[in-house]
Amino acid sequence: MSDFVDHCRQEWKRLGVPDPLADEMAADLASDLGEAEGEGVSPEQFLGSSAFDPRSFAASWATERGVVPVPGSPGRARHRPLALVAFTGLAAVALTVAALLLLTGEPRLTLVTSRSGPPHAPALSAIPSLPPGPGHRVQASAATPVEWILLFLAIAALCFAGWLWSSWRRSVPPTAPA
Amino acid sequence: MRRMVTEGRRSQMLRGVLDLCLLAVMDEGPAYGYEMTQRLRDRGLAIVADGSIYPSLGRLERDGLVETYRAASNGGPPRKYYRPSTAGQLALALGVSEWRAARDAIDAVLGPVTVEVAHE
Repeated sequence: MSDFVDHCRQEWKRLGVPDPLADEMAADLASDLGEAEGEGVSPEQFLGSSAFDPRSFAASWATERGVVPVPGSPGRARHRPLALVAFTGLAAVALTVAALLLLTGEPRLTLVTSRSGPPHAPALSAIPSLPPGPGHRVQASAATPVEWILLFLAIAALCFAGWLWSSWRRSVPPTAPA
Repeated sequence: MRRMVTEGRRSQMLRGVLDLCLLAVMDEGPAYGYEMTQRLRDRGLAIVADGSIYPSLGRLERDGLVETYRAASNGGPPRKYYRPSTAGQLALALGVSEWRAARDAIDAVLGPVTVEVAHE
């Protein structure tokens, strides 16, 4: 008997039935089965073929009662803002850090690429500190401020977060008036 | 084999009106799940198979046709009692009317049949 109720509980847990409701249904079922047993009525007599298929029985009961969360329901949607809040927070921190680095003076972080060999005219003309020497091998260094890249990525992430928030708000049904 | 067919048909027929039967027995007085099966059994409806009473009660509750409350049973643990709500009483009245109309129509078809099977 308790095995049957345990199997039902497992199925309700798998289906996402809220614990208080699952507790209530399990208690009612256990009480009824206990009373039936006390009167000499077997679970098979009381529940019919369902006694051999607790998962289907539990799923049918929960579904008919309307306590199984459906995909896209407000219950599931409530989990989404947690990830969104974290993502938005990270983007905001990245934006703040990039802005502070840019405002506090010379960029101290750089990406450096080196190139050896005959210089290409357009690339060298953009770097006046590296004068080309005819017939000489030169090493060019192109520095890219990481702060600007971070700033650009942070702004893009914030725009994406804004789009996600607006999309989420559209997916959440309005709350019924009390 | 014949018994299985007969019970299967009775079970199917009962399933169509089980909600009404449950509303009717709880209209006599608030009852919990097993108590309702006892009342049905006392009237000859022993075949509430497949545990279908629980999904039916769940549906009635979801649709607002019953009110529930918890109370101690006779020396046992607290039980969930059901009674028809106002909407449930209306549904019961309409359902009984529909059932009687259907029963009369089916009786008009099946009533004249005189073929009988000898019971073992």
